[in-house]
Order: sequence, then C-alpha cells, then structure tokens
Amino acid sequence: MLSLSSFVQRAQQLLDPTQGLNLSDSDKNPSKASLFQNQFRLPSSQHPLYEISAELTIPPSNVTQGDKDRDRGYHYAGKLHLSEAYLCFSTTPSSFLQSASTSTSSAFTGQTHGGGPGGNGFTFPLCAIRRVERLHSQNFQFALAITTWNGINQESVKDKKENAREQRITIQLAGPRVSCERFCDGLKKGLRAGVGNVGKLKKVVAECYSEYLLRPEDKKNASPPDAGLGMLFRYPGDPKKLRDRAKMRLWAEYLRDNGRNMTLIRQPTFHKLIRVGLPNRLRGEMWELTSGSIYLRLENPTLYADTLAKFSGRESLAIDEIEKDLNRSLPEYPGFQSEDGIGRLRRVLTAYSWVDAEVGYCQAMNIVVAALLIYMSEAQAFFLLSALCDRLVPGYYSTTMYGTLLDQKVFESLVEKTMPILWEHLVRSDVQLSVVSLPWFLSLYINSMPLVFAFRVLDVFFVEGPKVLFQVGLAILRINGEELLDATDDGAFISVLKSYFARLDESAHPKSENPKLRAVTRFQELMVVAFKEFSGVTQSSITELRLKNKDAVLNNIESFAKRTAIRNLARDSKLLSPEELGALYDRFYGVLYERQQRDHILKEQAKRAKTNRPRVPDAPDHDDHIERGRVGLGPSTSLMDYDAFREFLAGMSKWAISDSPTTPRRDTFTDKDRNSFYNSFRKSDAFLSPWGAGPEPADHEFLQRLFRNWDVDSSSALTLQNVVSGLARIKGKRDIMGTINYFFELHDDDGDGKVDREGILRMSEALLFLSRRGLEGSLSPSNSTLTLNGMTDSMNNSSLANDVPGQSVNERFLGSVSAFIRRCFEYADPDHPRNQPPAASATTATTTATQAQEQGETAEQPVPTSDDLLQLASPDAFAIGDDDDDDDDDEEEDGDGGDDDDDLLTMDSPTGTPRRAAKSSGETSSPGQPPPLIQLTNYSIPPSTIDGESTDRRRVSKAQSVKANAALDPSNPLHITLPTFRMVVLADELLEQFFESSFPASFHVIEALGSSSSASPTTASSSLTTFSSLGMGAGRAVGAALGGGGAGSGVSAPGGAPAAGGRGLRGVLDNIVTDGMRVAAEVRRRMEDAQKELEKNALPGQRSGNDEDDEEDDEDVPGFEHASEPGGAGTGKGAAYRRAVSSSDRDLLSGADAEASDANSIGRVRGSSDAGSMGDGNGNGNGNGNGGAAKVVGVEFDG
Amino acid sequence: MADSVPKPSSSVKLVLLGEAAVGKSSLVLRFVNNDFQENKEPTIGAAFLTQKCNLPTRTIKFEIWDTAGQERFASLAPMYYRNAQAALVVYDLTKPTSLIKAKHWVAELQRQASPGIVIALVGNKLDLTSDSTGTAEDDGESSAAADSGDSGDARKVSTEEAKTYAEEESLLFFETSAKTGHNVREVFTAIANAIPETSLKSARGPGAGAGGVGAGRNNEEQQRVNLGGPRDPNAKEGCAC
Repeated sequence: MLSLSSFVQRAQQLLDPTQGLNLSDSDKNPSKASLFQNQFRLPSSQHPLYEISAELTIPPSNVTQGDKDRDRGYHYAGKLHLSEAYLCFSTTPSSFLQSASTSTSSAFTGQTHGGGPGGNGFTFPLCAIRRVERLHSQNFQFALAITTWNGINQESVKDKKENAREQRITIQLAGPRVSCERFCDGLKKGLRAGVGNVGKLKKVVAECYSEYLLRPEDKKNASPPDAGLGMLFRYPGDPKKLRDRAKMRLWAEYLRDNGRNMTLIRQPTFHKLIRVGLPNRLRGEMWELTSGSIYLRLENPTLYADTLAKFSGRESLAIDEIEKDLNRSLPEYPGFQSEDGIGRLRRVLTAYSWVDAEVGYCQAMNIVVAALLIYMSEAQAFFLLSALCDRLVPGYYSTTMYGTLLDQKVFESLVEKTMPILWEHLVRSDVQLSVVSLPWFLSLYINSMPLVFAFRVLDVFFVEGPKVLFQVGLAILRINGEELLDATDDGAFISVLKSYFARLDESAHPKSENPKLRAVTRFQELMVVAFKEFSGVTQSSITELRLKNKDAVLNNIESFAKRTAIRNLARDSKLLSPEELGALYDRFYGVLYERQQRDHILKEQAKRAKTNRPRVPDAPDHDDHIERGRVGLGPSTSLMDYDAFREFLAGMSKWAISDSPTTPRRDTFTDKDRNSFYNSFRKSDAFLSPWGAGPEPADHEFLQRLFRNWDVDSSSALTLQNVVSGLARIKGKRDIMGTINYFFELHDDDGDGKVDREGILRMSEALLFLSRRGLEGSLSPSNSTLTLNGMTDSMNNSSLANDVPGQSVNERFLGSVSAFIRRCFEYADPDHPRNQPPAASATTATTTATQAQEQGETAEQPVPTSDDLLQLASPDAFAIGDDDDDDDDDEEEDGDGGDDDDDLLTMDSPTGTPRRAAKSSGETSSPGQPPPLIQLTNYSIPPSTIDGESTDRRRVSKAQSVKANAALDPSNPLHITLPTFRMVVLADELLEQFFESSFPASFHVIEALGSSSSASPTTASSSLTTFSSLGMGAGRAVGAALGGGGAGSGVSAPGGAPAAGGRGLRGVLDNIVTDGMRVAAEVRRRMEDAQKELEKNALPGQRSGNDEDDEEDDEDVPGFEHASEPGGAGTGKGAAYRRAVSSSDRDLLSGADAEASDANSIGRVRGSSDAGSMGDGNGNGNGNGNGGAAKVVGVEFDG
Repeated sequence: MADSVPKPSSSVKLVLLGEAAVGKSSLVLRFVNNDFQENKEPTIGAAFLTQKCNLPTRTIKFEIWDTAGQERFASLAPMYYRNAQAALVVYDLTKPTSLIKAKHWVAELQRQASPGIVIALVGNKLDLTSDSTGTAEDDGESSAAADSGDSGDARKVSTEEAKTYAEEESLLFFETSAKTGHNVREVFTAIANAIPETSLKSARGPGAGAGGVGAGRNNEEQQRVNLGGPRDPNAKEGCAC
C-alpha cells in the first residue's frame, strides 16, 4: 500500500502541483473550483470564471419605510463571482482566481461568525436574473442594476403590484475598466445561456413554501406546496412553545424585503433568524437553500421522478436493506406509522440508492431522511440527501463509513485539544469516546436529542457546514464535563449523556434569581457554548485534522477489510498460508487500485485535453474521487478483468511479463484509448503507461486459459475468492499429481478427460511459455529485447539448478518439451481407430511409422533426445541472446537447435530427417513462405550436411518422427487422457520437476518479483533468448519452409502437416517475443496449407516418404542442398523441412565462428536477402511471425 | 434473588453481533426490560444497556453493547467488542445467510477479540417457526424445541446444523424468540455461568473463592446448559431479572 500511496501522490502532483493531499471529497480537497462550489453551495458543474471586487447596494425596502436606518439601504463590500450559471456575491473576501493562493480561496473556512461560508450576499442562478442594466454613475464607475425574477410565479400584474415591487439591487464593480468589461461580457454570455432555464426555475420554485407564504391573502385558498409530512401529521414540538407564528411573521417580512428562495439575499438578519430556529413550514425550503441542494434540483428538476420511473420494479441489495428499516425509522412520529410516510421514505431512499449506487443505503440514512421528510417534499429530501452524502458529511454513509470513522478521530483530537483534563480521564478509564459520539455524527443528532432540538442543530448545520456537528459535540462534553469526570466506564459515561439529552428543554439555571437566566434552556445554553466557546473550531481546522488522521483511519479500515476478506474465503484458501493469502490480497487489490488510478488520471487528461476551455483556466475538476478505488474509501471494484489479471500475474510470475513492451498491444479497446493519450503523457511520466510503472504483462493463450479456469462463474471477472481458489490448486497442495492433473484439466476444454491434438500442442506451447524465462527462482524481469548483450555467461548463472555445466536447465527443458510432444502423440489414443485416413500421405506415414517404431524401440527416444541435446550443446553454449551473438553460442545453439529440430522433426514431419537438410534448406528458405509443394521435394532430397555421429540418433528420431507424424495427421483424430499425460510427464525428469516444483513456485505470491532494474538485463534476456534464439534459428532457417521443424523448440504446430508443426514451434517462440495471437493464426493457416498440401500430394507423398528413408540412410546427399535452395529463394516450396533447418544449423555450427559476430557473415547461410538482417551467426532464420522481432534484435545486436 | 447475604458481584462486557434485523436489539430489550417492540429502530453505531443477572453464587452485571447489524457497520465492530468478555452472535432462524454472517463473526471474535471470550450462538425468531407454537404460549417452557424438525413454516436453518457448528467451535447454543421471550434469559444465564471466574474484574476475592465455582465446574455447567439449554426448564431460575 505504501507504494500505492506514493503513486497517488505523484499522480496528484502531476495534476495539480498545489495539492499534495487529497480526500475523495471536495471538502477536503481545496481545488479552487471545489472551494468555490463549497462556499456558495453550488453544484459541481460550476467553476469560478470571473471575479471582481464590488459593492452591493440593497435599496431600502418599501415595507419598512420610515425606518431611518433602512432608508439608506444596505451596503456590503465583497466579491462578485461569476460561474457558468450563477452570479454570487459574498462579503467573505475569498478569491478563486487562478493566481490567488489557496489560502485566499479558503479564507471562508475561517471563522464565519454565524455568516456561514456564504457570508452575506446572494447566490443567483443566472436564469433568475431578469434584467441587468448598466447605470450611469459619477466617476465613471461601473455600476450594474440587477432585476430578478423574484416572485416569478405570481399570476397577475395585480398581485405584483399589491405584493411587492420587483427586486432590484445595484452593484458597483471596483476594478480596472478592462476587468469590469470582461466581467460584464461574461455575465452577458451567461445570461443569454440562462434564458432557457427560466421554465425550470418556475417549476422548482413552485415547490417552495415561500411562494405560497408571500401570496396575497386572497390567493391563499390554493393548496400550499408540500412542506413535508408535518403538514399532515403535525410537526414535532409544541408550536406555541416554539413560537412558530412569530418566527413565520419575521420570515415573511424578511423574504418580502430580501427576496425568496432563489433570489434571496443573505443579510445578517437571515443568519440570526436561522439561529433561533426555523419555523416549521419554511424549514424544508431553508434547508434546501442553505445546503445548496435546491441548486441541484434546479439543475435537474425531474431527476427524482425519472429515477423512480427508470428503476421501477427493479430490485437490489440496497432495497432489501431499506425494506428492513422502513418500519423502524422515527417510528414514534405518527407520519411514519402511516403508509403515506413510509411510502415516501421508501421512495426517497430507493431513488438515492440507484443514483448513488456506491453508497446505496446505510442505516442512519433512514433516520436522517425520515427527519427531512417531516419538513420537505420527497424530491427536496432526495436532493438534500445527495448534498449531505456528497458534500456535508462525505464518506459517512459509504460502505466503509470512512468518513464517520475519520470524523470520530477528528472529534477525539478536538476533545484532547480543548478539554485535556476530560480527555485524560477518558484515557485513564479506558472509555472510548467514539462509542458515545459516533451516533451523534452519523445521525446528525437526530436520534440522540429530542427531535425539536436536533432540528435546531440541523438548521445551523445546513448553513454553516459540518463544523457545527463538532461544535455541538464539544459543547455537550464541556457542559457535562464534571459529571463525566466522575464516570469511570462506558456505561456511566453514556448514562450521564442520556439523561442530559432528556432534559435539554429544562432551564439551564433553575436556581438563578435572574428570571432571564432562569428562562434559558439547556439547549440554548448548548448552542451558546457551541458557537461561542468553540468558535475556534472552523472548517479549516477540521479539514486539517481530517487530513492528518486520514491515513491512519484508512489503514485501519483496510486492515479490517483485509482480515475479513481473507477470513471469509472458502475452505480451499486454507491450502495457502496466511502470509500467502495476505500477500495475495494485497496484490489483488493493489492491481485493481492502481488500474483505477491510472484510469482516472487518463480520463482526466482526456477530459482536459478535450474541453480545454480557454475561459476556465483552472477548471479541471480532478478534485473528486482522486483516490477512488482505495479499499478504505468504500466501494471499489473487487472484480478483476482479464487485463487486470494479466497485470496481477505479471507482478508475481516472470513468465507473465511481456517480452516486448514496445509492441503495440491489441487486446482491448480500452487500451487503445489509453494509447492515444499514452504518447502525450509519456514525456511527463512513465507511470502513465497503460501498465503503470510495472512491466507490461504478456498475453498468451495460457493466460487466457488460466483466467477462464479461475473464472468459475464465467463472469469474465475474477473475485479474490476465484484467485485464491485458483492459486490454491496450483500452489496449495504441492503435490505433483495435483499439479499435473490441474495442468491437464486446464487444457481439457470440454472437460471430457481428453485432450486432442490441438490441446497437446497448446500444452507444449504453454510449457514453453512458462519456461521461457527460466524455470524458477532467478529474476528475469527485464522485458526489453534490446538488452541482449553478452548473454552467454550470465545465462548459465541465471538459470537455476544448472546441473549440466554449460547447459542450462532451460535448454534442457526445451528438449523435454519436444520430447513431450512426441510422446504425447506416440501414446495418444486414436479417437476413431477404424477411421484411418485414406490419404496417401497418411499411409506413408504409417508405414514409416512402423519402421520407425522398430528402430525406436531400440533406442529410447525421449530421454536420448535430451541427452543428445546435451551432448551437442557446448558447455558455454547457449547463445542466449537473440539470434546469435557469439559464434560459439551459435554453434551450440545450432546444435541444440538441431537436436530439438530432430525431435520436432520427428514429431512433426513424417518425412523429416532432422538435421541433414538443414544447411541447404536454411539457405534457401525465406521466412514466411508457405510450405507447399516443395516440401515433398525436400523430402526426397537427402540431407546435405550431416553429423556423422548423430546419424543413428537421427534415425531413431526419424523413426519416431514418422510415427509421430502419423499421429499428427489431421485426418486421424486422436487424444490423450490424463493417465497418458501423467505418464508422459513423469517419463521426463525435467518435466516432472517442472510440475513438482517449478510451476507452483513460479507464482511468487509473497516475495517481490525482482524489479527490472535489479536483475541483470542479461539474465533475463539470456534465458529468454535461449529459447527464442533456438526457435528463431530454426525458424529462420526453415523460413518459409514450414517443414523446418528443426527449430529447437519441440513445439509443433497443430498436427496435420509436419511442416506446419515446425511452424508451430516457431510460433510458440514468436509468441514469446511478439504476439501470440498473430502467430497462432499464422500457425493455423500454415497448418491448413500444409494439410491441403498433403492431401494434394498424397501420392507423391508416398514417394517422398521413401525418399526420406533414403535421406536417412545417406545423410550427406548433396542433392538436398539444391532442393533447399529453391525453397530459400522464396519459392515458397515447403522445401525447408526441419531437417533443412537442422542442417542449416549444422552449417552454422561449422561456420559459426566466422559468421557469428557479424551479421554479414550470415549472409552466406541464408540465401534470401532479408535473411541478412535477421540472420545471425547462428544462421537461424526467423520463423514466420517473429521474423520482425528477431530482425530487430539481430540488427541491434549486430550494430 | 432470595439471598440475603451479599453475593460477589462483577460486571461483564457483552457484545451482540449479527446480521441486520436478526433481532439483536430485541433480544436485549427482552432481557433488559422484558419488553418487545415490533418496529425497533435500527441501531446506529451501537446501543448500550445494562442488566444484572443473579447466579446462585454471584451477581453478574451485564454491560451490553448492542451493535448495528448492517454490513458496512462491521468495521466499527472492533470498537465495541474490544475488551468484551462475552459475545452473543445472533442469526435469524428464517434466514440462512444470517448464519453465514454469524459464522464470520465467530471467526472474527475468535481471532480478534480478547482471548477466552465466551461466545454464544443464538438463533432468534423461533416464534416464526412451527416448533415454537407450543413454546410461545408458556413463554420459555419449551416442549418441542429439542426435536425441532425443519418442518417449521419459516425455519430455514435446522437446529442440527447450527448446533453442530456450535459444538465444533465450542460455542454456547440457543434458539430463542425475543418476541415471546423464549430462552432469552437462559442465554444470558448460561453466559454468566460460563464466564471464567478469573476474568471477572471486580469480583470480590474471598467471596468469589467461596463461591466455589471453579473453572472446571463452569465448564461442566456450560456443557450442560449448552446441550440441555433449549429444554432446561430450570435455566431461568438462575436469573433474577
């Protein structure tokens, strides 16, 4: 997690250098825009576009004429702000200019003296402005007269006359003429755009009770707007005691003078009126206005109804949870014993759970919403709830409730700071404060205090913000301080407070002689203490404390979540150690988190690039959810898609790291999207690559298989459980049989216990894929093909368990794999024994096969092959680099290649005489050529170069190959069963070891996979290269000639055509280097070609078979050369069989020294021109697809 | 109850855990006030109540932390089960998922709570099952509970299943109805009996010793209560509340 957070920090710095810290909500993330939105309670669509110092003049009201003070009107100096759709004035001198420092913009977070963040002033939607006139004034001052749509819903002119003159205020702009002009231009534009919204405004305003309140008496018979359940079931509290009527009169007067709802102007009286408690019927509207939720409603007036309609009839977990609580939300209020009240509650909570699915439903929301519904309509409550969740108490109701926990920590620090004695007492008596205070905050005191008082707290809370919750909490503790000091356990502590809350309405000074003092209730006392004594608790001090405690809280939550998640895993997780599970959990969520971060940043970048509004220099709105995805912050995805899975594996297993990071990936479209941004980011920071700072994961058929296998629900996404279960099967039991079975099952697509020819090849491809960076242990993170120098030596070092000096396990493993394929085919069961292919070739194959068998029996094939390899390979040998670096290497490689080739040959092409053809074919073959006709020819041609010693072996292998080839015949379906597979695996020591240890061990769950920097590049490249060079060598030599089975890798392409088989091998290797899919396609294509070829040449095939025999006999036959040449020329004749390859390899071997170092020398070997570039000392041609990559390598290397 | 001699008294912190709406608060309300409310407000955070329980040899004062059940409140739970000596993990007999959740809680407690915490697994809402009909009337005198089949109308969790699990994990086990009060006091009594003497913080030394309730005997008792709980008509007499 540490690395994650540093990652986030970097990202944030990149986005906005002024911010080092962030929470997920704008409240704690003081970007200018969010500060602005916060101050004026505006929706997140609004940005500060222009601002200018100004003086606001409110004319004396007609109602209060005669009052001398008011005759002069009111003047306020402050700042005028313009956003996209709002014109705001505030006496709080904050600035959101781009150049303004953050502290200026957050000035409002200081003490507000009851003014709330908005201070005195107004927040007019532009659509509520009817007219703006420029006034002629002395001194050439810039003055605007603004007329609003105040009372827009009054039906008749008469009403208007009677009721009020229109609301008209003047504003003098102070500033250079230019800025005034600019401001006015902006205003003009905004006004024009706002005209269309007047309709909306009318609709929204119609739901405000003030409209009804201010109607002339004779119009009052119309039904008033919905002011909550209280209108039907009475409002809580005794209206007389609350002096509701008096308050209503005061408010009516204020609204008449200063505008109502949208056009209300905040003056000091406004704030005073709120402090004494809102009258019942206006409470909803004022809450809506002061919290700013009315602007959300204005933005999308039908959202509530639309949401309900859209999701009507749908079900969700949240809805189940809501249903459970409907009957128990403020059950003592009569409105919630009725269907009407419960119905409203249900609808509001449900609608919100749809709109904000991340929050869904949290207990306590039911209580809060129930309280809101007493005073406001459903739609109003809906928007207010969303203002609460998003801005006022962010994170309180999230799935992890991090906001709640965080604010508890903040509260505790405040107590510690302001009441050190009490704090010490709490610590000493081991009372945990939050067990007491948490419900206060979570339910906004609604279920702690009697409702009437809780609503008074809410009145202030909505104007002045979350700090009010803290102030009130502190005041409660302060007032009860002495009694609390006597309490020594949770129980006593709680009962003190319980009884306090029960007596809030009593006199605070019952024994006082002063009647005035006696009249002061405990609640009033509470409010005074809260706002006077704790006036130092400000938004900014809270913000600061939140930032300070954030990490600790999130870490706590995360460790809890982790513990829970791990514990809740199914039984099979027990197969892994707790440490492994912990590490897996971290890796799993780490990958998801990082991906989300990247995604977010990339999106932001895109947005920025796209919008790039010149008018909004600092608009980018990255404030929200910058940390989305962090477990502690709530719902983050817990599903891993295929790409994430690859990334996840790449963090654990070196084989899952792509070999060619630069290769454009073509897997998902999202990547494409990313790629388009990718370039622009690159310069600034590498971690913005689609894969972040980590290595690019490989994409291989095996990964897809694994993913599908683990994805037991076929949901195309893995849960942690899936991943754990999946890994438990591989790593858990540590028993070879289990692993073997698993591997088999992985390739048994239809689960019938059989793996067909195709599957066998897949298996071997997978084996090669898994082993290409070495079998185990050593780190080979380097994913760049560029670092290919001096591989030879390092390679040996790197490969673990290097038994045979000079030859790495990895190399031997190639042999094992090739033997594996051969054996698989050898022991495969025919699907339909009777159904023997009529094709001539097939017959040939069979015949040869028989011969082969005989021979084969004498010599044990599989092991010998590997032995052969060993022998052949010179100790230092393996040129690990790409194609050939050193001559020696080349030689060895060739040798190995040759052997492998033999194996391959054996397997693939019936005709194949492994090595002999090699040289010639190598020369002749041009990469990428289809195998066709020529193959036959080649067959007949005796191999040009042969190593005498190997003849026998070759024979054997040939025989085997023949036999295997029979098996490969596509028209002769076959399969292996699990027992066969097991047997084949166990027959080879290396394979056995692979399944016993190295495969399970290749998942480095706990230890870190070495970073690319730490591992020596050569190591990686070397092991990689080994294979690839082998493959390539063979491939290249074979080139177009599919037949060139000589490739070191025994992996044959799908059965049918031998030549194709050779291809397949190459393909595998290519895969490693480049792109698996393409190769696969290629392989397949070739296979088909080859098969066609076979069919076509059925008869000749036979002949060729004979020829082959001949070849075998005399390996030295020169004729071969000639044959191969044409192939090489690019005739596309299948000429190059693997033998061809092998022979070419041989040649290389002999000539290797000379050729090796410079590419030029290669020229000799390869007939084709391109070969030049690719050609390495080894003379290995690149196979089909990989040619490109190999080429690059070769060139670089040479260079 | 009838003891004139002051018995040693000690307080025990007990926490209730379980899925939302399984009846945790109702169990407490029944135990503390012998009351039942059809629509009990959901607990926000946690509620705190106390109740005494008189055992023959001592008095136990339960400090009950009744926690909120909704999943997302789970991360608050450690705050409440901190230092708890006993826990009631409640599930709803009519909701199989609630038993799974209960198992999670048990695991959490076993790993994270104070060692030696006494845990009781309680299946609530027995009144909704058919085998409760007999018991509902005479409030606690269960005649049919023991051989409760799965024939109950709403019962979805068999007694056998939960009991087996409880035995595996050495938990006390009860099926209760907060609505009828069936078995509720028995649960608390059994817990009181199962609390090891040594973990009682304010137990008066000599008194406790004289009480002679050794750990071994406790275990026996616990065992007895555990197995016989649902049937034991005498269980309630231990509790003076």
